[in-house]
Amino acid sequence: MADPNSVLSAESMIDKGENSRMSSFVGAIAISDLVKSTLGPKGMDKILQSMSNPDSMNITNDGATILSSIHIDNPAAKVLVDMSRSQDDEVGDGTTSVVVLAGELLREAEQLIHQRVHPMTICDGWRLAVAAARKALEDSAVDHGSDLEAFRGDLLNIARTTLSSKLLNKDKDRFANLAVDAVLRLGGSTDLNLIQVIKVPGGSLEQSFLDEGFLADLKIGVGQPKRLENAKIMVANTPMDTDKVKIYGSRVKVDSMDAVAEIEEAEKQKMKAKVDKILKSGCNVFINRQLVYDWPASLFAEAGVMCIEHADFDGVERLSTVTGAELTSTFENPEAIQLGHADLIEETMIGEKRFIKFSGVQSGKACTVVLRGASTHVLDEAERSLHDALAVLSQTVKESRVTLGGGCAEMLMAKAVDEITPTISGKKALAVEAFAKALRTLPATIADNGGYDSADLVSQLRVAHHDGQSTMGLNMTEGTIGDVRELGIFESFKAKEHVLLAAAEASEALLRVDSTIRAAPRQRQGY
Amino acid sequence: MAAGGSTETLRKREKEKDVRESNILAAKAVADAVRTSLGPRGMDKMIQADDGEVIITNDGATILSKMKCMHPAAKMMQSLSKSQDIEAGDGTTSVVVLAGALLRSTQQLLSKGIHPTTIAEAFLEASQEAERILESVSRPVRLDDREALIQAATTSLSSKVVSGDSQVLAPIAVDATLRVIDPSADSNVDIDENIRVVQQVGGTIEDTELVNGLVFRKKGAAVSGAPTRVENAKIGLIQFCLSAPKTDIENNVVVSEYAAMDRILREERKYILKLCKKIKDSGCNVLLIQKSILRDAVNDLSLHFLAKMKIMVITDVERNDIEFISRTAGCTPVAHVDSFTADKLGSASLVEEVSLGSGRVVKVTGCEAKASTVTVLVRGSNKLVLGEAERSLHDAFCVIRCLVKKKFLIVGGAAPEAELALQLGKFAKTLPGQKQFCVKAYADALEVIPYTLAENAGLNPIEIITELRRQHAEGITTSGINVRQGKISDLAEENVYQPLLVTISAISLASEVTRMLLKTDDLVGVQ
Repeated sequence: MADPNSVLSAESMIDKGENSRMSSFVGAIAISDLVKSTLGPKGMDKILQSMSNPDSMNITNDGATILSSIHIDNPAAKVLVDMSRSQDDEVGDGTTSVVVLAGELLREAEQLIHQRVHPMTICDGWRLAVAAARKALEDSAVDHGSDLEAFRGDLLNIARTTLSSKLLNKDKDRFANLAVDAVLRLGGSTDLNLIQVIKVPGGSLEQSFLDEGFLADLKIGVGQPKRLENAKIMVANTPMDTDKVKIYGSRVKVDSMDAVAEIEEAEKQKMKAKVDKILKSGCNVFINRQLVYDWPASLFAEAGVMCIEHADFDGVERLSTVTGAELTSTFENPEAIQLGHADLIEETMIGEKRFIKFSGVQSGKACTVVLRGASTHVLDEAERSLHDALAVLSQTVKESRVTLGGGCAEMLMAKAVDEITPTISGKKALAVEAFAKALRTLPATIADNGGYDSADLVSQLRVAHHDGQSTMGLNMTEGTIGDVRELGIFESFKAKEHVLLAAAEASEALLRVDSTIRAAPRQRQGY
Repeated sequence: MAAGGSTETLRKREKEKDVRESNILAAKAVADAVRTSLGPRGMDKMIQADDGEVIITNDGATILSKMKCMHPAAKMMQSLSKSQDIEAGDGTTSVVVLAGALLRSTQQLLSKGIHPTTIAEAFLEASQEAERILESVSRPVRLDDREALIQAATTSLSSKVVSGDSQVLAPIAVDATLRVIDPSADSNVDIDENIRVVQQVGGTIEDTELVNGLVFRKKGAAVSGAPTRVENAKIGLIQFCLSAPKTDIENNVVVSEYAAMDRILREERKYILKLCKKIKDSGCNVLLIQKSILRDAVNDLSLHFLAKMKIMVITDVERNDIEFISRTAGCTPVAHVDSFTADKLGSASLVEEVSLGSGRVVKVTGCEAKASTVTVLVRGSNKLVLGEAERSLHDAFCVIRCLVKKKFLIVGGAAPEAELALQLGKFAKTLPGQKQFCVKAYADALEVIPYTLAENAGLNPIEIITELRRQHAEGITTSGINVRQGKISDLAEENVYQPLLVTISAISLASEVTRMLLKTDDLVGVQ
């Protein structure tokens, strides 16, 4: 069977030249087309229906979420998905834009290759284009990092712009304020773990709010104080049923019922000793990751200590960061245990659910965003949108330059690229031209998704930018072009720059490929 | 294979228009399935579950939650009705029927070539305007106006199987809810925490009663000599077991001779007797015992001893109920016999075992503790009726809760929807362009409620609708369908009122789902 001339083993496959490039183009463009319609404030949503679990479905507009959950069987498509994921990790926003731009670049490249332009020539042209675009972007960026008032305004605008392409569009002012407040509390830290998001079904999105401190979806034990001031908190992970001997098959042999009763009593005393040790540490709140059984719970109740059982892993970790308590599991040196602190712990009711609220916690940065919404789908999507906004804001706090959104930055870059075209001789110029064209498809897509005439709007924008009105962009509420600086459509410079660089890099990498080798699947043994 | 296989990037992808079409069809199918159960003359549905259990119900939320839907859009309708259930607790059928009608109208708008986002925005505007209109035709209600509250509960119950008994159930629902809140201060009611519903087969729904205290269903055979009626009861609640001792570590009792067996039995007897005596010594005469899964909570021997000591025993108390019981009876749960002291006991003026139909229940009444909790004992001739009665009662509780949350009433009988259709039609004329068209369609879609209501009542829907339009156009905002008399009349005079929150939340939730389905353009299969 095996071809005697073949170097590779029988099952592995190799695609060469045209074929390989073709399959990269097709794959990448398909991926870009898939998410294209979600771009912009009037972008569409997608239903993600799980194949393995028919009960689970998601409705989302978030590029990274869509891409990370689909099945992909094309290497080029995988490159784009990875790129979008890294965009998500780095800056949190622009996950769709980056894929669409890369897809458009490859679409242009396909045309150029048909015109017999060598891939390397295209790459060279693109590099020139990227340099020009980047310079234009940097020149247009504004930095208000030193002026707090103006910076807050910038942040609000960025948050609004990010949110406007999401479900939260309707209540974007509220959520923009919420996200900016939360991020400013962090004081420059990008640790989003300190911002806890709780989803409570019921109510509507406009009832969502930001709460200082920390909320936990837990219950206080029966008969214990429901409100404590100046709480000294111990966070523990320890069995509070019995300390078992963990040797398999260990058992005791006795010859009377009294002896059994004695052992039972001894077990209880051991538990009591443990509780005593815990109490010795001086804590008045005991939070355990595991269950607290009735007997120790009633001992805590007698001592007037609030005890909270069954805090999940995430909850325990957060509680210990937020309150400054050390996660404890042994109690031999009760004095040495580091306790956490909160000014006030009380029960509070949100919607139909009770929560425990920790306010005035040691780490003042922590806060909780409570999301309310009609259904779990809405809540999940709201959480994703909010996460994007928080991520991009926290990055902007670090790198405070901002740039214009609404397709303005793209038009600006396209213009800069167009301007260098006449200075380039040779076929490279074609690639540079193509790059500008690809950049202009982003505003075109945004307009298309809103049901507007994209060709008309983009040409208007082109004219405006050519005339030196460098702040013109799309006004998606009116369906016209307008001054985006006045409209308050801002984006983070870092996100924009990352989109440009990542998309160019990824499409260049795909363009340089001239053959795809698929390794033979590993043989399964034992059948 | 190589090229062909890799070009197929995604396993499944449907075309944009088809996706929207199929979503709308699926959602409409769900709406059509429940529309016959709308209103007082609505039909019931019999549902057979996987395990053969049969439910007969008229409650939209219940029907939908039992339906096995495959299509994602159908699942969204299910969660829509669930959200309405969480938010308002009533109107779960209306919300789905409304969403179905709105989707039907979008189909026509789409076929006229209007862009989905334009429709979505117009619908948002329309639903916000609808809320304003509804608020303007509502009337405020005070929580001490018992008659008005009973009226509202009766309206909700009138569409249920148990409507014949609404004069019994409505006051119960009102009294129960008012008892657990502070009418002047509270703006929410925690129904699940404070109201227990206990079902007991036997008797008829008319025998349903409100108990200011606790009701337990008695299981197992009676122990001879045990008291069945205790006045001035001292109630103890224990979380430990009255049975042979058992250790957490595995134990073996080694019996080496016949005499030892005797001795062991004697010791067990002595051990249990000791426990029972301690309980008796505290003055307790009613003992509640928490269910235990690790070992027997009680055994025959301990039941016998307690009966001899004239202590009434209620077994199998669930751990989840402990909090409720301890708040109601004023007792503290005790997890160790040594801490079982007189101060932990609760008190009630009467604890009585009552024989009802085939079973027996224990009623605890006259509790001294000032906890705001109540129990409703629901009676009915069979399980199906009981289940439906409990669901209907829950709806009635929710109606009162809605009034606590938002203290406004609005007339029922499709009057608000007819008024909305008229007012929104007028509002549409103030809007420019395509929006006008969409809002008009929205207004017309709302007439599905009076239409369906009339249809289900066996009236001529066309005549009813036209007459309704005429009267509303003349300014009689409260005229609606009087289903009982089969004609249009002024429902304010008939006292058919329902909470404003139910209608508002139905309209806004239905619009939200419609908007979401409109904005969805793709269905992607994922892992």
